Amino acid sequence: MTSQTSETFRENAKAALADVHLRGALKHATSVFGERRKQAAAGLPNWEDLRTQARAIKDEVLLHLDRYLEEFVTNAESCGAKVHWARDAAAANSIICGLATERQARVVVKSKSMTTEETHLNDALEAAGMQVVETDLGEYIIQLAEETPSHIIAPAIHKTRGQIAELFTNELGMPPTDDIAQMTRTARLTLRDHFAAADVGISGVNFGVAETGTIVIVENEGNIRLTTSLPRMHIAVMGIEKVVPRFADLDIFLKLLPRSGTGQRLTTYQSFITGVKKQQSDEGPEELHIVLLDNGRSRMLAHPVTRQSLACIRCGACLNACPVYQQIGGHAYGSVYPGPIGAVITPQLMGIEKTSQLPYASSLCGACREVCPVKIDIPQLLLHLRSEIAPRKGGVAERLVFKVWARAMMSPTLYKLSSVAGRIVQRVTPISRAWTNGRDLRPIESKSFHDLWNE
Amino acid sequence: MNNEILNSIRSHLAASAPHDRREQISRRLTQINADQIGVNLRQSAADLFRLSLEAVNGHCVIAQGDTDIARALTQIITDLQKTNLRAQRIAISDNPLVERLMYLTDLEIEALTVAPNDIFSYDVGISTAQAAIAETGTLVLDSADERHRLVSLVPPVHIAIVDASRICETLGEALALLRQGKELSRAVTFVTGPSRTADIELTLTVGVHGPQELYVIVNGST
Repeated sequence: MTSQTSETFRENAKAALADVHLRGALKHATSVFGERRKQAAAGLPNWEDLRTQARAIKDEVLLHLDRYLEEFVTNAESCGAKVHWARDAAAANSIICGLATERQARVVVKSKSMTTEETHLNDALEAAGMQVVETDLGEYIIQLAEETPSHIIAPAIHKTRGQIAELFTNELGMPPTDDIAQMTRTARLTLRDHFAAADVGISGVNFGVAETGTIVIVENEGNIRLTTSLPRMHIAVMGIEKVVPRFADLDIFLKLLPRSGTGQRLTTYQSFITGVKKQQSDEGPEELHIVLLDNGRSRMLAHPVTRQSLACIRCGACLNACPVYQQIGGHAYGSVYPGPIGAVITPQLMGIEKTSQLPYASSLCGACREVCPVKIDIPQLLLHLRSEIAPRKGGVAERLVFKVWARAMMSPTLYKLSSVAGRIVQRVTPISRAWTNGRDLRPIESKSFHDLWNE
Repeated sequence: MNNEILNSIRSHLAASAPHDRREQISRRLTQINADQIGVNLRQSAADLFRLSLEAVNGHCVIAQGDTDIARALTQIITDLQKTNLRAQRIAISDNPLVERLMYLTDLEIEALTVAPNDIFSYDVGISTAQAAIAETGTLVLDSADERHRLVSLVPPVHIAIVDASRICETLGEALALLRQGKELSRAVTFVTGPSRTADIELTLTVGVHGPQELYVIVNGST
């Protein structure tokens, strides 16, 4: 499961399609999430306005990202946070490992963060001799199972309660049960020991507010609150695109994000963290480090089409809406970010060479664009990426076919001749087996429109 | 400020300039409308808050004044003592109001202030909330005014007391309130219902890392 890469997307997808259990789980999850999103959006009469405004804010930020980042950094540091800049995954991991080592950390607790999945931070911390514990229930399950997340907001969506019970029995000594509440209780108790022992807490960031230097993190479980309250050092890893200009802008994004993700009006907890505590007797960590990660993001600013990828707020709505994701799930993409948004972000972050199958993992139906809370035109992005791949991939045969076709289209005699030839060829040979395996090819009419018109 | 990443941002934005029609990008960033989702204006803010909170598995009691609140506290805790949540050890925040109210009850409080490493052994945490949001059933906890980050989070039960006059109608109002005439606090937390997860087969389970039960006592007599 864990060894899948984007290079073998076709094989991964084929294997996923043959997995009856996985497809059942995906169908259930994507339809439940999709339905909840729809109802939640319908509950806001100005949903479309909110989407438009959210996108306008994101466009404004991205067009002046340097200025908003400077403002964010100045304000966060004036409240006692320390900001670090990381150009790539290796830089981010080395900063974080350095900070944790300085603290002589033995146990590090983490709350769910796609950005740290992107940098493979856990491997780096473990290599530095630390015990890393994921505390989000879904992330904890897949960490115990040594797997990777299959959905942005529901990482263990692909596992059944039976599999999880067995895992907890083997790894945590839980008495066998199929009671989900019992499994959750087991995780709560086990993780509390880790929270109590942790020297460092690492979280992601949903929004960074430029005018106040605040980081905002949303969740349902409470593990982010524990991660950011109990250990003496909090490290927050934030993609450079997460800035919003003003505190009041959160009104829009906090309406869109939970409704698009889980269909909630608000998730259970929002933590607004602005620097570190003022007095020793106050609650909370002594140190807050914010690691700003580029890792290929600034490159996407160079064109308006690619730039919109940076507007993403990681709600996961496009995954649930996508007919391809619905069938194959997240692992088949072989990348940290799955689904339609993954198919456009991954090639841009990781380079197109090893990910060139991903922009084709879509029927371009546009369902992702319809549900995106920040109106990212994902089909347009997919086509843009395909146009970058095509000149490299198109074989000699393909180019020859199109040359012949162009010549035939320009001459009426050749065109007529070719349609006659087509009729004969179609009767004799199946044109393309890959295509006709799953569907019928309509036979070419015996008379062309031109012939009928003349009659 | 000058560094590799900012330089990369600037050079890529410069490369993008010929493709951008910047004037078309909306700059309407000053006018953000608070929406009126499901807000029934005939309902009082406290009633709407109660409905919203109950919709996310929270409990709400509307009380009038200190004696009434103390009675509600006693009731909630004695009822909990009959369940498997025990409710024997009670931790309270440093808000003097909470301490005063606790003396009005017949309950025994084992500790008034709690050291962070001891917090895991408590059954109930009691605090106030600095504000609330009616449309979502949300509590606003402002760390500048009270030490309640851990009492509101770690024990399996959280009981919060909030003044009805501090209930905002919308999320937007609450966000504006946080910035009104003062510096933003170092830690603000919004709480909407008990801790929840649906990570196993999308089945809703309450009480993962935070409280399993959330009670809010709205003081209507201010």
